[in-house]
Amino acid sequence: MSQHLPSAALEQKPAAFSTPAREQAKRLQARRAAAGLSARLGLVGIYAFLVVMAVFALFPLYYVVQASFAGAQNLYTTDLHLFPAHFTFANYVTAFTQEPLLNWIGNTLLVCGLTALCGLVCSTSGAYALARFRFAGRELTLRALLTLQAFPGLLALTAYYLLLNALHLLNNLLGLVLIYSAGAIVFCCWNTKSYLDGLPIELEQAALLDGATPFQAFWHIVLPLATPALAVAALFTFMTGWNEFALANLVLNANANGSNLTFILGLYSLQSDFRTPWGIFAASSVIVSIPLMLIFFFAQRYFRSGLAQGGLAN
Amino acid sequence: MPMLRVKRRTIIAFLLPMLAMMAVINLWPILYTLYLSTTNYSEFTSDNYHFIGLENYRQLLFSFDSDFFPVLWQTLLYVVVCVSCFLVVGMLTALALNNPRVKGLSLWRVVLLLPWAAPSGITALIWKFLFQYDFGPFNQIGRLIFGPQFGIPWLLNPTLAFISVVIVNVWLSYPFFTVVILGALQGIPGELREAARIDGAGPWQYFRHVTLPLVTPALVPATILSAITTFQMFNTVFLITQGGPVVSALKPGATEFVMIYMYNRILGATVANPHYGFIAAFAITLFVILAALTYLGSGLGTRSPQTSRFREAQA
Repeated sequence: MSQHLPSAALEQKPAAFSTPAREQAKRLQARRAAAGLSARLGLVGIYAFLVVMAVFALFPLYYVVQASFAGAQNLYTTDLHLFPAHFTFANYVTAFTQEPLLNWIGNTLLVCGLTALCGLVCSTSGAYALARFRFAGRELTLRALLTLQAFPGLLALTAYYLLLNALHLLNNLLGLVLIYSAGAIVFCCWNTKSYLDGLPIELEQAALLDGATPFQAFWHIVLPLATPALAVAALFTFMTGWNEFALANLVLNANANGSNLTFILGLYSLQSDFRTPWGIFAASSVIVSIPLMLIFFFAQRYFRSGLAQGGLAN
Repeated sequence: MPMLRVKRRTIIAFLLPMLAMMAVINLWPILYTLYLSTTNYSEFTSDNYHFIGLENYRQLLFSFDSDFFPVLWQTLLYVVVCVSCFLVVGMLTALALNNPRVKGLSLWRVVLLLPWAAPSGITALIWKFLFQYDFGPFNQIGRLIFGPQFGIPWLLNPTLAFISVVIVNVWLSYPFFTVVILGALQGIPGELREAARIDGAGPWQYFRHVTLPLVTPALVPATILSAITTFQMFNTVFLITQGGPVVSALKPGATEFVMIYMYNRILGATVANPHYGFIAAFAITLFVILAALTYLGSGLGTRSPQTSRFREAQA
């Protein structure tokens, strides 16, 4: 504080310069120059840090994109190419024609889509009952759901295997759908329930008085009002199965050409196979990633608004 | 709170899909795992296994050749190293992105948050190739600089493999912390900075006494959440190392963290006779540890009166 007060006084009365005051002004100027220099150095440091971080963040993505355009003769050679040496689309053509890439994407979309549907039906109806109906064990149900959620599904690997075996759902995409949607229900139920808590109940009461059934009130009044929370629930369930490897590997057995797999299992088998050139793996990764990244950026926006309104953001 | 009066049948109809699903797919496997943990069920005894009490737990916790504590220890080490790195990298990037003097902030932001958007399973496979000894670009760049003899055995040496999966996890997870911290930083009113400057606080003092206490409330839940996720991490590490490298057949691999250890003991190619009962005991013990950590963590989140007072003052 003491450093700043005299300078303020100086600036206010520049006319009253005495010799010691002039020296002080000089010293002040020097100090200001030093501060400016250190600030500029600091800015240079920040830029250097940002550049390093950008290289760190981008290198894997950049490398795989450039490798996907590299001619086949560059693969698994010992010389390094940071730019594709023989630019070609051959890897993309091969990935589409010789690998069951479209099957993998289709399977993944099917699993994730059905998971979203199944999770949405279960969690929304349950959330409505928990938000609107009075019954014994309501609080208990909510707590029990949270407790169940704390148990990571992967720990019950053996039990899942036996369960799906008993249901004849092994090696079936539906088996995965069941496991994934059950894993996402609790979050969706809680989020949707707290969203519904914020909606006025009077509309439904009036509808019931006018002779609507509870289901009609739910379907025609509540669901349209709860769209943001439903979007969050749908996207959340959709994305639970995205990258999941362990359970998918347990449930699905690759057939002869591997066309029954999800994309992550497929890419893993591609990379584990030493005969597969790296460029084809790279092209496949790029093809699979682009729609996923687009969905992610789209989903991010919805996640924020729907969560904030759902009341779980705090 | 006002509620609707409806028939009992209606309530059941609305709850049934969710509760049936939870009972069959969530509750039953947990109870069955609990039951398995008290039997000697294994691949060879699958026709006639029987109740053996707490024998599996005794073997797990008190036998000298049990892998439990080494595996738990390296998992906890992984969690601590990873989460510290997340915090440091996330804080530095957030501070840089919150600096108004930096040009092109929105571009930097997109670039630095990109790892978050990339599908983590695919990027794990990409990183595996980057670390590859003969053809991986890291070693190839090294050879350009240090000559043809150069080579870092990234995934072949136990310590380096551990470091490699830390690097990948930092790459995947720091954007989450950047976003959380950036959000908290943008909530700090500008007058505070001005007031601190007038009071003669340097940048470090400002960070230590103003920024940090104001960011902490947002940071605590994020840290707990990511510690728990890292503890349970399977996908990324498994896709890169499969839990290896294995140095001796008697010891778990250097990156064989709890979930991977369990998975490998059931589905691993070298396991001829998976001992499901023993693995179930392992799973139940892990669950108890996780539940305890979560409970302690949630207590930590609600405490810290100093930071909550700051929040009140802000509001």
